[in-house]
Amino acid sequence: MVRLLLLPVLLWSAAALAASDDSGRVVFDYQMNCQGCHTPDGAGAGSVPAMQGHVGVFLQSQAGREYLVRVPGSATSALSDERLAAVLNWIVYEFAGDSLQSPFTPYTAAEVAPLRKHPLNEVDDYRQHVLRAIAGADARE
Amino acid sequence: MNFFDKVFEQRSRQLAQRSSRRGLLKGLGAMLVGGASIPLLPVARAAGAEGAGRPVEEGDPSSCDYWRYCAIDGFLCDCCGGSANTCPPGTEMSPVTWIGTCHNPADGRNYVISYNDCCGKSSCGACLCMRDEGDRPVYRPDKTNDLNWCLGTSSVTYHCSTAIVVGVAFDD
Ligand code: HEC
Repeated sequence: MVRLLLLPVLLWSAAALAASDDSGRVVFDYQMNCQGCHTPDGAGAGSVPAMQGHVGVFLQSQAGREYLVRVPGSATSALSDERLAAVLNWIVYEFAGDSLQSPFTPYTAAEVAPLRKHPLNEVDDYRQHVLRAIAGADARE
Repeated sequence: MNFFDKVFEQRSRQLAQRSSRRGLLKGLGAMLVGGASIPLLPVARAAGAEGAGRPVEEGDPSSCDYWRYCAIDGFLCDCCGGSANTCPPGTEMSPVTWIGTCHNPADGRNYVISYNDCCGKSSCGACLCMRDEGDRPVYRPDKTNDLNWCLGTSSVTYHCSTAIVVGVAFDD
């Protein structure tokens, strides 16, 4: 009987583990490629901006959505398109919090591939430009 | 009676009503066999993953050949009044850090190591250790030079380096 009773528990844990397997890879990719600058909780420090509670703001405009891919940390990372898309999605789910104002359509490898071929040069200017446009659109609403 | 007992009692009663006793036993037997073999894999993996978070520790953290230092470049905090995990008193740990993976010979696994610098006092000067094995992330060439690893702390003065295990490396 004991064995039988365990069955649903085991099947449940199998499903839970399958899910955590994927997130294990994403977390590892984030740790190895991004965490050194962006810190474990996405808070950043110094010249590394906080993604925690803020990164979702960029998703309010197409230019902002593209910015998250074209920022050099993302675009020039050693990750494949697929894994970069997964890391960016993880960042949004994990760090955006209340800054995400509308339903998020996850990035895909196909979306990320052409964008990252054009890493930004004048990052700070572009970032300001994107944020001002979003703030302006908000003010007009 | 707990939840599973209840569900199973109910289920077996329904089954018993609908099928012969032999049929019930056959069904249960199949479930037992299935239950015993299929989920063994993830459970074994769960046990492995649990142990993997905590590396088996061997070696001397004040020695440059200690396993966690495979990608370190600096003074070992363990020789400076701190440890491989902590900053010496009077210094502050930088949140911005090098990340690498090191192989732990004691348990045969690879771990993600964060080399957080301790900042706020002049160079410790003891146990200089420069090992550039293991992978480090590819940094932006234009940012590497001006990215002081004591950024984000109140003082930019470098004192020593820690080597903190932050995860298990995900092998392909
Ligand atoms: C060498 C340090 C460093 C690494 C490594 C790094 N970044 Fe960044 N990241 C920055 C800095 C600095 C900025 C601010 C914009 C700039 O100057 O590039 C930034 C900005 C960003 C932004 C935009 C946030 C904002 O508010 O402007 C995103 C998204 C981002 N990085 C994603 C990533 C991802 C994903 C990775 C890993 C694949 C990564 N970064 C790796 C330093 C880094």
